[in-house]
Amino acid sequence: MSLNLNYKRRGLKSKVVNSLVVIMLACLIVGMVGCAASAEAPLPPQERLRVATTTSLYDTGLWEYLEPMFEEKYNVELDIMYAGTGKALEYGRRGDVDVITVHSKAHEEQFIAEGYGVQRIPFAYNYFLIVGPAADPAGIKGMSPEEAFKKLMETENGSFVSRGDDSGTHSKEKAIWTEAGYDYEVVRNAGIWYIEAGTGMGPTLLMASEKQAYTLSDTGTFLSYKGKVDLVPIVDKGDILLNVYSAIVVNPEKMPKTKIDMANNLISFLVSPEIQGLIGNYGVREYGMQLFTPCAGAEPK
Amino acid sequence: MIEIWHGLTKAIELIISLDPEVLEIAGRSLRISVASTFLASLLCIPLSSLIHFHRFPGKRILINLIQTFFSIPTVAIGLFVFVLFSRAGPLGGLNLLFTPTVMVLGQMILITPILLGLTISALSGVDKAILDTARSLGASGFQTAVVVLREARFAVTAAVIMGFGRAISEVGLALMVGGNIRGFTRVITTAISLETSKGDLELSIALGIILIFIALVVNIALNRIQQR
Amino acid sequence: MSLIEVRSLYKRYGEKEALKNINIKVERGEVLAIIGPTGAGKTTLLYLLDLLEMPTSGRIYFDGMDVTQPGKVRLEARRRMAFVIQKPTVFNTTVYDNIAYGLKWRGAGKSSIRQKVDSILEMVNLSADKNRNARTLSGGEAQRVAIARALAIEPEVLLLDEPTANLDPVSTSRIEELITNVIHRYNTTIIMATHDMSQGQRLANRIGVLINGEILQTGGSIEVFTSPRNREVAKFVGVENIIDGVILKNEEGLVAIDIGGKAIEAVSDYSAGEEVCVCVRPEDITLALSPAASSARNSFTGKITRVVPVGPLTRVEIDCGFPLIALVTKRSAEELNLASAMEVYASFKATGVHIIKK
Repeated sequence: MSLNLNYKRRGLKSKVVNSLVVIMLACLIVGMVGCAASAEAPLPPQERLRVATTTSLYDTGLWEYLEPMFEEKYNVELDIMYAGTGKALEYGRRGDVDVITVHSKAHEEQFIAEGYGVQRIPFAYNYFLIVGPAADPAGIKGMSPEEAFKKLMETENGSFVSRGDDSGTHSKEKAIWTEAGYDYEVVRNAGIWYIEAGTGMGPTLLMASEKQAYTLSDTGTFLSYKGKVDLVPIVDKGDILLNVYSAIVVNPEKMPKTKIDMANNLISFLVSPEIQGLIGNYGVREYGMQLFTPCAGAEPK
Repeated sequence: MIEIWHGLTKAIELIISLDPEVLEIAGRSLRISVASTFLASLLCIPLSSLIHFHRFPGKRILINLIQTFFSIPTVAIGLFVFVLFSRAGPLGGLNLLFTPTVMVLGQMILITPILLGLTISALSGVDKAILDTARSLGASGFQTAVVVLREARFAVTAAVIMGFGRAISEVGLALMVGGNIRGFTRVITTAISLETSKGDLELSIALGIILIFIALVVNIALNRIQQR
Repeated sequence: MSLIEVRSLYKRYGEKEALKNINIKVERGEVLAIIGPTGAGKTTLLYLLDLLEMPTSGRIYFDGMDVTQPGKVRLEARRRMAFVIQKPTVFNTTVYDNIAYGLKWRGAGKSSIRQKVDSILEMVNLSADKNRNARTLSGGEAQRVAIARALAIEPEVLLLDEPTANLDPVSTSRIEELITNVIHRYNTTIIMATHDMSQGQRLANRIGVLINGEILQTGGSIEVFTSPRNREVAKFVGVENIIDGVILKNEEGLVAIDIGGKAIEAVSDYSAGEEVCVCVRPEDITLALSPAASSARNSFTGKITRVVPVGPLTRVEIDCGFPLIALVTKRSAEELNLASAMEVYASFKATGVHIIKK
């Protein structure tokens, strides 16, 4: 009989806890369903256009800025995939995206030659720079990029963080090593001062800052990360540092699923005078200088 | 240390003010993982019963295999699903890559070994006397399976809880097949991964706290069901 | 036609032969007790009879149909029987739901279920615990639930495996009472396994003795206890005095048996020269301090070697030149002041002697 009394007491406490749990679950469910309703557009299934972008365009926030404008104008959902140039090109070859925006001329031309891309349309440019610790342990400030790399290699007096991910920036870095007279494989195994990160531009800058090392970065991303990293421009003059961003539509002849019309819309959008103007002005207010210089479809310089 | 403190306070701000981006990401995490756990359970509980109650050659090996896959790396499954659903792949025609749907499918594959293995284990723990009693009372094969499952409900619920935990907390698969697209396939774990690598710790910490909160509530709720 | 018939049944588990050459018939409405020591194969036999397991060879017939092979006929036959296993097993739900399970599985309607379950609850005296979780019950109560659960489906055959093996005496007598009620009310055919021969004697009208996987003897309860067919059965049914001897002479059914110097008189048809075992039940031996005048033709003197109290009785071991074991009431033992080393006269009737041919 005493067993029954315990049952009753447990019953009340049980009821209170159960009610609390039900309330919490209700909140979760409302959150789950409510957010679904607000996140998805009220209109029926929208067309989705997929763009694989190089990380430097993403980390600067440029895409975040342009995305809503394009979506509203063409009533389409834009899916921006964060990838290095190498990965973006691979997505393009598999037909998993409709447009790629990258910045490695050699790779882009090969991509088109292989038939995966229709045409490369440059739409903006800026410059690379070698950034590093203010103390400049390797003493390379003011040199040309090739000379700076040579000095790094010879003295091994400072660390260098490489993108290491076949991105446009990484390709540029490799090109500089070649100009400086080194085989890239040799560079990779040169010593522990050479660090292969395998990450996007923003994360690479953070790593270089942590390690107080040098790295190659585009101006746009570096400026937008100004407050977050403890690095200063070390080398910023040199023809080889030109950095051109192009958009390429994935070739519908090779990848018939490509949303060719909407993709072409995106290209027109990017080179349209209005948007070109916006690209040119992007970041001026916050950073005091241009992050990107528009070039409306033509190769700069 | 100061950053962590700053992060915590900003995090609480974001949560209390019901920041729309945070809520959107959290809601999506919950939807995808609840869906995958629910669908996988629907499939795996009957399948576990079939495996457990029947004798067939290779049964021992099958169960060992299932247990081996308990801790398969999420990136491995991610890679497999990616190659499967890529437009260049066999199921590319379905156009499911980089959508929440393929994330649900991927998570289902991920947690199936756990659900199968732990449910079979739960069923094995039920006294044979229960089985014999049910059969002797004239229960059909299906009715017997149901009653044994009910006897094992505590352990079966634990299996579901484990499955949900693994689904909602993994990153590798969500990143590879979902693509972490803002506003479409970004979930708590992939957002934390991205924001941390970009250096925005406040948002990451906020999302981390929410993830733990969700896990706690679901756990407690399922726990109450267990007690019954 | 018998309700259940088993022919040449064998059951082997790997190397071990659990049941050998079982041939039995069970008639409708009878109460058959299978008695035997632990490990004899009683549970195995019941599992085979309830069609829960397949025999290695042999055939089983239920109501005239061959139900040995798996299939619809076998399943339907199983549904006409109910089995209460030895371990009190209840499902993790209320007492009511436990009992209702079998009915639910047969698709009975809610109100008819309620009627049946309520009346059965009354019969097993568990109405008050209707809504308790069955896992909180004591062993005896759980076993009553198990029996109620089996009765609820109104089986034609009720199989009970050592129903009171794990219970205290009070619970045991309650369950025996319940079984007796069932026998009287429903005329259900009952097959029960027990190692307690007195329980078998109390409840059953026919007994089968299963020792080492073989049925050594079947017969009415009295018959098996007083006239065991061989030594093993005799030992099991409590014949503690089994003495080897040779028949000296047979005069019109009255025989004298030489047991190594002394002679025992008995009633038998066996002829002189036959080698036999003399069986005397310990309860059939009377003890006295002097050679009392009685009609007992067998009287021996001997010295008491041991006196052991056994519940309400006393077991007395005597050395009469051959060992003799007597079972007397505690009162008699006290009145006679029985103790070790005492000289006593042990006597028993010729009619109380059972002869087994060797």
